[in-house]
Amino acid sequence: MDNNYLSISDILVTNEKVPCKFLHDLPKMGFLDPSAAEDDLKAGSNVEIPLWLSESLYSRRPPLVSVELPKIYKDAYREILNADACTVDMHKLGQYFYEFGCYISKHDIKGEVGSTLINTFRQRFRMLLSASVSRDSLIALQPLSASERQRASAASKTEQALLDWLHSGDCVLTTANMVANHRKRKRAEMEMV
Amino acid sequence: MDPYEIEFIGENRLVSVIPNFTYDKIYLICGEFGPFRAGLPMNVPLWLAVMLKQKQKCRIVPPDWMDIDALETIKEAEKTSRFFTKMPNEHYMVEAKLILGAAAEDIPRAGEIKTIIKDIWDIRMSKLRTSMDTLMKSGGSYGRLDHLTMMEINSVKPLLPSAMDDLLRIQSMAKKTIQPSLNTSSFSQSGSSQNI
Repeated sequence: MDNNYLSISDILVTNEKVPCKFLHDLPKMGFLDPSAAEDDLKAGSNVEIPLWLSESLYSRRPPLVSVELPKIYKDAYREILNADACTVDMHKLGQYFYEFGCYISKHDIKGEVGSTLINTFRQRFRMLLSASVSRDSLIALQPLSASERQRASAASKTEQALLDWLHSGDCVLTTANMVANHRKRKRAEMEMV
Repeated sequence: MDPYEIEFIGENRLVSVIPNFTYDKIYLICGEFGPFRAGLPMNVPLWLAVMLKQKQKCRIVPPDWMDIDALETIKEAEKTSRFFTKMPNEHYMVEAKLILGAAAEDIPRAGEIKTIIKDIWDIRMSKLRTSMDTLMKSGGSYGRLDHLTMMEINSVKPLLPSAMDDLLRIQSMAKKTIQPSLNTSSFSQSGSSQNI
């Protein structure tokens, strides 16, 4: 998400592929399209190229390609995300959903990708919260995107340090057993699920 | 920040002790304390009180707020209020933990106090989590941390600030792209006003 030139995560993000349509014939560029039989790349062919390449081809005058939205930013997926973003497995669908989305949103004519990103981020924040307190962190971390995972593991580190502190020393402030087993006390956990 | 560092900060608070020895003033980095007179209550930093207690040199006077009835009222208020209520002490958790750990026999009904402080802590932590979630969902751009103690604020770091940072970055980016559509809508509005 930071646009630092040397940022490794930014390099990884810009290496993600985007579907592009070539607007001109490009001689000797057929290797870009794995399914092309000829040496030359024909105008109108759809090829998936890395974001860094598409950015430079797109910013030329006249632009050589038109950039299309990757499927996760298209209407069908946007509807799912707006309905309930927490059900989506970001690890599978878009490792760098937010960062990539920031780059992609300028190619979205309707300008809806930006608001989808914000909504998704807001809704999925609770997943970070529950991942940071859950005991089975592997399962909780699984559906998170790369940046979310980072944030969730930092949060669970804080949580763990706090628990360690609470349990250290000769006097442990604990809840009485009977109270702990009582249903009401699970409120905090139940609210998070 | 590590909870132990917060404990260290909290250890500088003054508590009242009754020494059972007589000694001159002592000079510490945080100030001078004493002279110690056996049987006369005096204020010393929490860390010193705990150290003296461990050497059996003093009795710790329970702080005013460490009282079942007072804590019961706080707990009820905390339960009914939507917001965080003011705690009697900025470092209530640290103080309770250290004093009850070192000098449980000096505090009347120490067992019950332990449980009730833990109850208050649990209620506040669960409130903190749910309010963080609502803050994010409702689209608020800032959160008020009134009456939260240092230990509690520390428990939401680095998650909440970093999430807010990222949200801001996405928002500022989205604004840039949404801008053109906003312009067209303002054009159409001005057009309609001319028609009237």
